[in-house]
Amino acid sequence: MAEFLLIQTLLLHWNTILEFAFAIIALIVGIFALRIYNLSEQKQSLLFGISFIFISASYCIKSLTNYLIISKLNENICQALKLYDVSILNSIGTYSYIFLFIIGLVTLAYMTIHQKSIQIYFLTLAITLTSLIFSSNIILLFYILSSIFLILIFLHYLLNYYTNKQGKTLLVLVAFLFLLFGSIHFILSVNHALFYLIGHILELIAYFLILTNLLWVNKK
Amino acid sequence: MNLKRDRLQVIHDILEAIRNKNGKIKPTHILYKANLSHQMLDEYLTELISKGFITEEKSKQGKTYSLTQKGFEYLNKYSLIIDFVDSFGLK
Repeated sequence: MAEFLLIQTLLLHWNTILEFAFAIIALIVGIFALRIYNLSEQKQSLLFGISFIFISASYCIKSLTNYLIISKLNENICQALKLYDVSILNSIGTYSYIFLFIIGLVTLAYMTIHQKSIQIYFLTLAITLTSLIFSSNIILLFYILSSIFLILIFLHYLLNYYTNKQGKTLLVLVAFLFLLFGSIHFILSVNHALFYLIGHILELIAYFLILTNLLWVNKK
Repeated sequence: MNLKRDRLQVIHDILEAIRNKNGKIKPTHILYKANLSHQMLDEYLTELISKGFITEEKSKQGKTYSLTQKGFEYLNKYSLIIDFVDSFGLK
């Protein structure tokens, strides 16, 4: 039992570190996209920037709550009151993460379909959030919806690569493929910390590729 | 390479035409330099004014257009903008 708890805590440590890293990378990408919007007034850059800011905020909150959970667990693992606190913290972290991340993905998906109508964006967002709120298994539905949006986003980047065959477009395509794999992997591994970590490693590769692309663009 | 110019390229061509005329130009010159129809040019100029890239001055000789600081910045950072937009599929 003690060994199991130790492994779980260790995995939680790793997840916290990885989520913090994703938050930083997504924030850098988001800020850069907003800077491009500032220069060009191009709507797609604004949407891209906003989506990554939301994604960054989702990881930031998840990482912070995980960190607080670890701190609480370290204080005294046997106190029932503390475990109740941990449960609340976990719920706050998970729900905030789910809602912020899905807003980010809806914004990104909306950017890829090149629709001028803002009503379509708010309609998609409303349907997605409502279905999550009233779902009996919110985590599973979240990963299913994320995968659907990521398939749409991936197809956009596949098309982008076909029309503009460059190393940079390929990097972004592969990055979103890894994000999609990560999301599908999470569907198969809900409530299992080790699989959860593998999903995070797939995400790490994806965000690393996105960051590499950003540095490549900025270097020129 | 796309044969059809995208919006960012057209905006660049208009701003570049203004910069090449020492930052001040008449609409007929832009029409010629940027290779646009009259209607398209009007639309672009209205958009560029509203977004703060250029300013319009009216005198007895007609309208002239000047680059703002934002317009100069756009031209200076154009390759960065295009690289970012291309690689992240933002067109």
